[in-house]
Amino acid sequence: MSARRAVLLVGSARPRGTGNSEALGSYLLARLAEGSMNTEVFHVGRCLRPEKERLLLEAVDGADLFVLSTPLYVDALPYLVTRFAERIAAHRAEQPEGSAVRFLALVNCGFPEWEHTRTALDICRVFAREAGFEWTGGLGLGGGEAIGGRPLKELGGQTRYLRRGLDLAAEALLAGRVVPEEAQALLARSGIPSRLYTALGTIGWLKAARRHGTLRRLGDRPLQ
Amino acid sequence: MDDRRYVTDVVVDPGAMRPGSRTVVLNGALKGDEALAPVEDELLALLRETGTLVRDFQLRDVPLAYCQGCFECWINTPGLCKTDGDAGRRITGAMIGSDLMVLLTPITFGGYSSEIKKAMDRSICMVSPFFRRVGGEVHHRRRYRRYPALAAVGVLHEPDEEQERIFRTLVERNALNLYSPATAVCVLPAGAPSPVVRDRLATSLEPVLGRLAGRAA
Repeated sequence: MSARRAVLLVGSARPRGTGNSEALGSYLLARLAEGSMNTEVFHVGRCLRPEKERLLLEAVDGADLFVLSTPLYVDALPYLVTRFAERIAAHRAEQPEGSAVRFLALVNCGFPEWEHTRTALDICRVFAREAGFEWTGGLGLGGGEAIGGRPLKELGGQTRYLRRGLDLAAEALLAGRVVPEEAQALLARSGIPSRLYTALGTIGWLKAARRHGTLRRLGDRPLQ
Repeated sequence: MDDRRYVTDVVVDPGAMRPGSRTVVLNGALKGDEALAPVEDELLALLRETGTLVRDFQLRDVPLAYCQGCFECWINTPGLCKTDGDAGRRITGAMIGSDLMVLLTPITFGGYSSEIKKAMDRSICMVSPFFRRVGGEVHHRRRYRRYPALAAVGVLHEPDEEQERIFRTLVERNALNLYSPATAVCVLPAGAPSPVVRDRLATSLEPVLGRLAGRAA
């Protein structure tokens, strides 16, 4: 029997190695690889050419597990992810029924509360249904910007609940089960308290603006 | 930039026109999907009756880059996306300068089509990077003093209560984050007869159309 295959699609348009979605998806994929799954990673921004898109579609068709790790943009999936979801669903509607592909969605947002991701996770669940995937669950994470694009292990105690949640999800996926609710509960406990997160976020924006010489222009209304 | 290919300023009867209000319509039909065209015709007819000036973008024909998630519109060029030379600034400018923004879209997995999503993702420059708290949740602060009301017209190719519910929730969430002073949602089946479309649009969009008429009067 050949090894099972997991395909990760990173939904962030940020450069490779810098995105939070990639850090989250890579951690989960590493756990799956430890469980003897073969793994492959695609980035939405690198699949725009037809030949790359074809490789993604083929990889998804041949996968046992398809994982989407994506940021939340304006309350939903980003444009590129929506575009590929449309393409994948249309492609699979034209294919003869193949072996079952399981699907997991992992959505992170820049607000401290994971609940902002609920609508995007609902959209992912409908996408799974429309594309003929077996829904294994959706995981939402708040405070994603605190990851800073770094590998989760490097962040130590700050990500202990997050890593435990993802470990639990990987365990379930390797065993062929759906992701348990406890995994989401652990992700919800992850990160730093909301007021501290927004305070640090505010300081971060101010520092960045100072570096760029835009401190006094942050409230500009150029479109009015 | 010559944008005549994808933008139409709807001509209204000059006698009836009360240019006190502006509306922007974003048509998110995907290539090859013509189910939205008759809905758009009825929508424009309804808007015309209010006397509002309509700017209508056919997004699938619009040169528009996607948001790169770099946040430069918050820090480096506050309020403006760093990408210039496409229609992004023109669309966000039309949005913030309008009294009503209408999203016309095929309902896609419960959400907007990718064409609508591309334009919406570019709209984050309309809010501030800083935070506020609403009902126990953190959101971004406003950048502008006033924002347009938000209406969404979604077309479903098959009846689907779950997608309709998700769509309505998404519009509510957008309205909250984009400071919309009023919101309306209309979900229509693809291929519905014109009188049905017109009636459903008029009923569902009444909260925002009434505001437009009031503003123009």
